[in-house]
Amino acid sequence: MRRPVALLALCANLVLSTQALAAELPQRWVSAGGALSEWITALGGEARLVGVDTTSQHPASLKSLPSVGYQRQLSAEGILSLRPDVLVGTEEMGPPPVLAQIRKAGVQVELFSSKAELSAVDENLEHLGQLLGAEQQASALAASYHQQVEGLQAKVKQAQAGHKAPGVLLLVGHAGAKPLIAGQGTAGDWLLGQAGGRNLAAHQGYKNFSNEALAALDPDVIVFSDRALADEQALQALLKENPALAASRAVREKRLVSLDPTLLVGGLGPRLPATLQSLAANFYPAAKASFAQ
Amino acid sequence: MKQRVQPRTLFICLSLLCLLAVWLSLALGPVSLPLFDTLRAGLRLLGLPIAADGLQQAEMILGQIRLPRTLLGLAVGAVLALSGVAMQGLFRNPLADPGLVGVAAGAAMGAAVAIVGGAWFGMPEAFAPYLLSFCAFVGGLGVTALVYRLGRRDGQTNVATMLLAGVAMTALGGAAVGLFSYLADDATLRTLTFWNLGSLNGASYERLWPLLLVAAGVAVWLPRRAKALNALLLGESEARHLGVDVERLKRELVFCTALGVGAAVAAAGLIGFIGLVVPHLVRLLAGPDHRVVLPASLLAGGVLMLFADLAARLLLAPAELPIGIVTAFIGAPFFLFLLIRGRS
Repeated sequence: MRRPVALLALCANLVLSTQALAAELPQRWVSAGGALSEWITALGGEARLVGVDTTSQHPASLKSLPSVGYQRQLSAEGILSLRPDVLVGTEEMGPPPVLAQIRKAGVQVELFSSKAELSAVDENLEHLGQLLGAEQQASALAASYHQQVEGLQAKVKQAQAGHKAPGVLLLVGHAGAKPLIAGQGTAGDWLLGQAGGRNLAAHQGYKNFSNEALAALDPDVIVFSDRALADEQALQALLKENPALAASRAVREKRLVSLDPTLLVGGLGPRLPATLQSLAANFYPAAKASFAQ
Repeated sequence: MKQRVQPRTLFICLSLLCLLAVWLSLALGPVSLPLFDTLRAGLRLLGLPIAADGLQQAEMILGQIRLPRTLLGLAVGAVLALSGVAMQGLFRNPLADPGLVGVAAGAAMGAAVAIVGGAWFGMPEAFAPYLLSFCAFVGGLGVTALVYRLGRRDGQTNVATMLLAGVAMTALGGAAVGLFSYLADDATLRTLTFWNLGSLNGASYERLWPLLLVAAGVAVWLPRRAKALNALLLGESEARHLGVDVERLKRELVFCTALGVGAAVAAAGLIGFIGLVVPHLVRLLAGPDHRVVLPASLLAGGVLMLFADLAARLLLAPAELPIGIVTAFIGAPFFLFLLIRGRS
């Protein structure tokens, strides 16, 4: 008779103590960063999100949460109305006076890095892991992320031994018209480089090119990213609006790759390794089999 | 023309509306506070001895977020509307708005320099918002001073020349902003775009005081010149014969506008339509007498701004619309409505 009671007490004790532990961790989260929201979801924290910004598009279930607007244009009272314990975002989050007001209201504001670097992913994951109480999961995720990206780099090196790095352009457009070309120092440039492409654009940031300049660069592969249309439609629109592209080697040899534009905003997210693999497979068709693994 | 509203009725209505707008602006927001808590927190902020138990949140929201925001809205609306009256009086044209003398274009240019330049040269975060306000203010004042100089010849200010110089400087300012938007990276570009739409978001006392001082100065100074503005309505030489120092009046009007709009834009970004619509609206209701138009525009500008801000913060809550969009959406159709009604 004694034993079940003791067992029950033990169970209750255990439940209470884990609850007490959990109570110290922030329970209601607002995330103002696309990649961060994805990481939070990957770490099993989606249930704790009570609001996200407009850059948080993945997974699609996040779109049903209240939107706090664009990460640079947050509203203090709007966020406070969600009664969050913590607001997470990258250094792009703002405006600063609003963040100050949110801090003053007793909400933890945690800043993360949006840099396109592997070390930033490590730091962000470690930080998120602590906040979510999922340190082990976070370090496992970071390790597998490293493994995937480094494994890919090794394969890219191998492929480059037998093949020249292809010249690539990344075109970011809206329904095909006047695409912006990703130049040096952009997240897009980092992506192309990691996948073994050679970015032909030498300028800084995202810039418009004239049709003629586009044709003169004559890329081997075109990576296109459209904010309004999906894969095939986007491609048709792009070619229709920019007839000069049709003469390029990329179009003649049909080496055109679609890229999800949400990957280009707000730092490195969990979907990146898979994207890099498919980019690399398109850059080095001869070595396609090795990337597929 | 249809009959006019008596000035006294107009002032009573506007004052009541103003009180209502202030109350709503303090009482409503994305965070729903119990009415009683709002009242008690408000009274506590006024210094009344009320127990603080359970009021921390209400007091924080009211004192740190809604009150500075309300004050900012009132001041910006009042200053923009008064500047509108000054410009319409100066150019003797109801279509004039504070942008005509280049103050908005100058401020936008200053802001573009601050936002894009700040991103290039790496501005410390803490200093960035002040740099933006400062550059916008200096830009607005500088371009207006230039326009005024261009309009002067032989000790006389030619209003038509000034108007054209203002148009040219606005075009030049637009080109400069365009150039900076071209040079800006993605993130900076979005900041610039949002700034151009204006917002009362993130109002804080430290950034409020300079504007409140300027607004008080303009609000005291301009109504004192109401009679001179009335005389100017008759034409420049007529005003001179009536004993008005026209050159001095012009200088004061331009200076007040540059100072007022410069400070308003520095604090809240570019907010259109208030300066054009409000004086026009008041004139349609109460006639062209500046002794009525000036104080009535001051009140109406503040009221319209607060209502627009309520819409801006409530419509998409917890996100927020830029207020410039709301003022244009409210202002433009209302203006059209009045135009059509006034004609029939």
